[in-house]
Amino acid sequence: MTRYVMVADLRRCIGCQTCTAACKQANSTPPGVQWRRVVDIEVGEFPNVKRVFLPTGCQHCANPPCEEVCPTKATFKKDDGTVQIDYDLCIGCAYCAVACPYDARFKVEKENFAYGDEPMPHEAQRLNKATIGVAQKCTFCNDVVEAGVASGHKAGEHPDASPACVNSCITGALTFGDKDDPESQVNKLLDQSEHFRMHEEIGTEPGFYYIWDKKNMGDLL
Amino acid sequence: MTETRYVPTYCYNCVAGPDPMKVRVDNGVACEVVPNFDMEEMHPGNGRVCVKALGLVQKTYNPYRITTPMKRTNPKKGRDQDPGFEPISWDEAFDVIAEKLEALRAKGLTDERGLPRLAATFGHGGTPSAYMGTLPAFLASWGPIDFSFGSGQGVKCVHSEHLYGEYWHRAFTVCSDTVNTRYIISFGFNPESSGGPSAARRHADARVRGAKRIQVEPHLSVTGGASAEWVPIKPKTDLAFMFALINVLLHQSPRESLDIPYLRDSTSSPYLVGPKGYYLRDPESGEPLVWDSEAGVAVPHNTPGVKPALEGCFTVAAAYELGPDKEKYPYENIDGNTAFTLMVQSMEAYTPEWAEQMCDVPAQTITRIAKEYLDNACVGETIEIEGETLPFRPVSVVLGKTVNNGWGAYHCVWARTVLATLVGALEVPGGTIGTTVRLNRPFGNRLASVQPGEDGFMVSAMNATDKENWESAPSGRNAHKALVPIVNSGAWSQALGPTQLAWMFLNDAPSDWMRSTFPDVWFLYRSNPAISFWDSKQMVSIMAKMPFIVAFAYTADESNHMADILLPDATDLESTQLIRAGGTKFVEQIWEHEGVILRQPAVDPQGETKDMTWIATQLAKRTGLLEKYYKALNRGAGGIPLKGEGFDYSLDPSVEHSVEEVWDAACKAATSDYSGGKEVKDLEWFKENGFYMVPYKRQDWYLYPTLKAKGLRFELPYQERLKRVGEELKRRLHEQGVHWWDEQLEEYEALPAWDDVQARYNKALEHMGGTEEQFPLWGVTTKSAQYSAGNNAGIQLMDDVANNVRGHGSVIINAQTAQKLGIGNGERVEVRSIIGFTRGRAELVQGIRPDTICIPGQFEYWKTPFAKDLDYPSLNTVIPMSLELTDSTGSGADLVRVSVHRLGGDS
Repeated sequence: MTRYVMVADLRRCIGCQTCTAACKQANSTPPGVQWRRVVDIEVGEFPNVKRVFLPTGCQHCANPPCEEVCPTKATFKKDDGTVQIDYDLCIGCAYCAVACPYDARFKVEKENFAYGDEPMPHEAQRLNKATIGVAQKCTFCNDVVEAGVASGHKAGEHPDASPACVNSCITGALTFGDKDDPESQVNKLLDQSEHFRMHEEIGTEPGFYYIWDKKNMGDLL
Repeated sequence: MTETRYVPTYCYNCVAGPDPMKVRVDNGVACEVVPNFDMEEMHPGNGRVCVKALGLVQKTYNPYRITTPMKRTNPKKGRDQDPGFEPISWDEAFDVIAEKLEALRAKGLTDERGLPRLAATFGHGGTPSAYMGTLPAFLASWGPIDFSFGSGQGVKCVHSEHLYGEYWHRAFTVCSDTVNTRYIISFGFNPESSGGPSAARRHADARVRGAKRIQVEPHLSVTGGASAEWVPIKPKTDLAFMFALINVLLHQSPRESLDIPYLRDSTSSPYLVGPKGYYLRDPESGEPLVWDSEAGVAVPHNTPGVKPALEGCFTVAAAYELGPDKEKYPYENIDGNTAFTLMVQSMEAYTPEWAEQMCDVPAQTITRIAKEYLDNACVGETIEIEGETLPFRPVSVVLGKTVNNGWGAYHCVWARTVLATLVGALEVPGGTIGTTVRLNRPFGNRLASVQPGEDGFMVSAMNATDKENWESAPSGRNAHKALVPIVNSGAWSQALGPTQLAWMFLNDAPSDWMRSTFPDVWFLYRSNPAISFWDSKQMVSIMAKMPFIVAFAYTADESNHMADILLPDATDLESTQLIRAGGTKFVEQIWEHEGVILRQPAVDPQGETKDMTWIATQLAKRTGLLEKYYKALNRGAGGIPLKGEGFDYSLDPSVEHSVEEVWDAACKAATSDYSGGKEVKDLEWFKENGFYMVPYKRQDWYLYPTLKAKGLRFELPYQERLKRVGEELKRRLHEQGVHWWDEQLEEYEALPAWDDVQARYNKALEHMGGTEEQFPLWGVTTKSAQYSAGNNAGIQLMDDVANNVRGHGSVIINAQTAQKLGIGNGERVEVRSIIGFTRGRAELVQGIRPDTICIPGQFEYWKTPFAKDLDYPSLNTVIPMSLELTDSTGSGADLVRVSVHRLGGDS
């Protein structure tokens, strides 16, 4: 079996938003829509304060609440563990966006461009009308990963088989790969470090792991 | 069917570059900027570019671009005036410019004051030269040009580090040897925002490895957020903290815990100092004396085999001191203290308990950090690098922008460098190291710039302060040669002089100083000083008086609003240039390779925009300078000498060459040079491959081995030469009846003493008519990774993603302070200083001192499309340009006393 997951190392992330921008370019999302983003959280009280930079987006849950509420089965789990949306089936009811505990889904009602109503050439080139009026979110760059794997690359271990956010990350904070492959980089990282998943207690079983330094960050998070 | 290709090129939007990237082009349209994984193993940032580079696609296709030359039709200039720009042809634009320039040449290149009639201002940290193609060759062929109108130089850089870092250890910029270090004390250094992929990756690896960074700063920056500990210090009191660290090392730690051999043999610590504060010198050789601890006699420092005493007071039979203007003070049986002993004495009063009163950091915190620093220094340990055994001292102290600028910055740079020498951590693996030189030659090879000078130190050229050679009639509008000896007189020197003086003196100069003049023609490239400098209102009013401005223009902006001619140059993804990369350079670009990297058009230039090399060539042609221009290019004015040992790709100066011909020659010359003639790669090869690199030795990251090999010492801790130079400068100015620089002259201290910088600001405020009660808070700023030096506020993508960053576009206020002021989160506030106000949304946080507010970045645009609608505040608007707040290097700090009050209503 295959279970694609993302690992974010919070010791490395600096909230620079390069991944956010790379995702926007790769997926040509309109202004304000960020399938990948890094949340900048301040914890503690003056003078004992820290900032935590938390990459987030669709957690590709094993038990996705978004899938459960979808009336048309547009949201579905793939056999690689990712959660995807069939835009043709989606009716844009946005139940999924409400159900998602990770605030990861977006709905855009009309075409929207960086500088007003007219697209720039690259926006026109990449315009995906299928995403208008329906739910949209991070796909783990599924088409790229699929093509890369089909070309013989190991998912997450070659740029041609990795999501744009992972490729772009300047601190090496993001790692992608197959959790079911004991030799994968994600397993090696998780085996060596303390980690958690967001809102694990609600049983979503996210496919997004956070490596942290519990000793130094545990009292603050 | 989509036809896709990837075009290798580089991003050098800030000094943390250049970083390699590829542009994905779909059906002839640039769609994405992605890493260049071909350089993953070589580039310290693993082939990645930072978020700013990802804005370059929007930069290319921004509908607000100026895509044809324009001329002003409204002769009146000012913020309130519509320039009435009308499109013209390139021919017409060149005709107008050439007419102006020819008239200027006919009058004489300098005016009646001896000041250049042509001035030029370029943007951030020398990065424009990585985009301006062959324009430097045109400038070189022209003659005298005034580069003293700054757009942030001296007030937004790390100015004292540039000057004194280079003076003390060839470190125009300084960083930790992050790949080896274990403990970093960072006073506001913010590499996670301004260090690009290289610094970000190195520090991330260090954190995971277990290295500890202590971040000392009033506002919890991004770097502070990624550090092990935040110490919220009072703004601009860092010196007290640093002096207390030195005090703990010198007065509360066993002497043998310091690196005694390093201090004794590689610094000026054992030099004997006489009663007037100058070295005691050998009557015969003139060399400074040390006390030979074995023979019990004073001998010249360079006596073979001597083991000098590090500390003590010794009686010397015969010696003299060398004072200003070569005055000699001879002595017999004179007592001399070692420089080290004088430092120990001078630091005795600066206990952690004293520092706590000054900087509001608990004494026990300072003491603990000093001891952690010492414990991690590994004094006595070594490391093997490429087969050579070198000292291993994995501790470092680094300084940020505001610590490094203005009053007290000289002292802080001194203290930082002394902290390194005390444990032998200066310029060795794990320690505090420099990355590049800009005031000493050769550029790009700081090791080669280490040449023996006077008194056992490296040679460091300074502007003359002796009676015969001091420049009494300044040749530039910021008088850098006259006022700042240490800035020297090289290509970068003028822009590192007191750049705000050039602006201020156009309006109002001191009564005992010459009146300044406006340049006849001012060139402006990749720069928007109306936003990036202080006191924006005054800046705009001065610029409006510039008689003739030629602005290379991307979009309309606040500075080119005053221009007479706009020239639209092809931007990052549309133009060609070959630049050097690798080795060691700004911020933390520390490579194991060096070579060249190509910028090339991923797409055709938009509209009528033109490559800068073509523009420069036309300017040279139209002004009759083509031959000189090509000769300058052949010498290397385009960054690569076209003729060298074993190769000659010189361009024939008698005929015009195309952009491609110029860079083809540069490609061939560079590869011939780097390969020792073994390989010659042309422009076509570079277009395919992107870069050419050869190995660069890790040993060359460190200066210490070169210094040892040449038998030289670091000129620390005692500043005898600076004391002498300062005294000479004072004499020269006083001889001219000039006294307005007197306070600055007091900075020329042999051993820096505490400087209460906050008191200086309070006094200056009082002189401007304000009181501390009226302006009870301190205003500071911080950089952000999305904007730092990018001149990219008009790029929508940057704002989109920066909105995830705490404080973006806001006034950051401590939540308790805000509560007392009745300010709620998100409410609009007005930040007021003695010169004006700026307005924006309040963001209430815990990570800032209660007495400080912070406004990130530089905004308050009023002309730049998109940016003008953001309604973000800017600290630049409310910081005065003040002679009183200018230090002896000509620099000032991003600091201002402010008040804040609620305007009401959500933003």
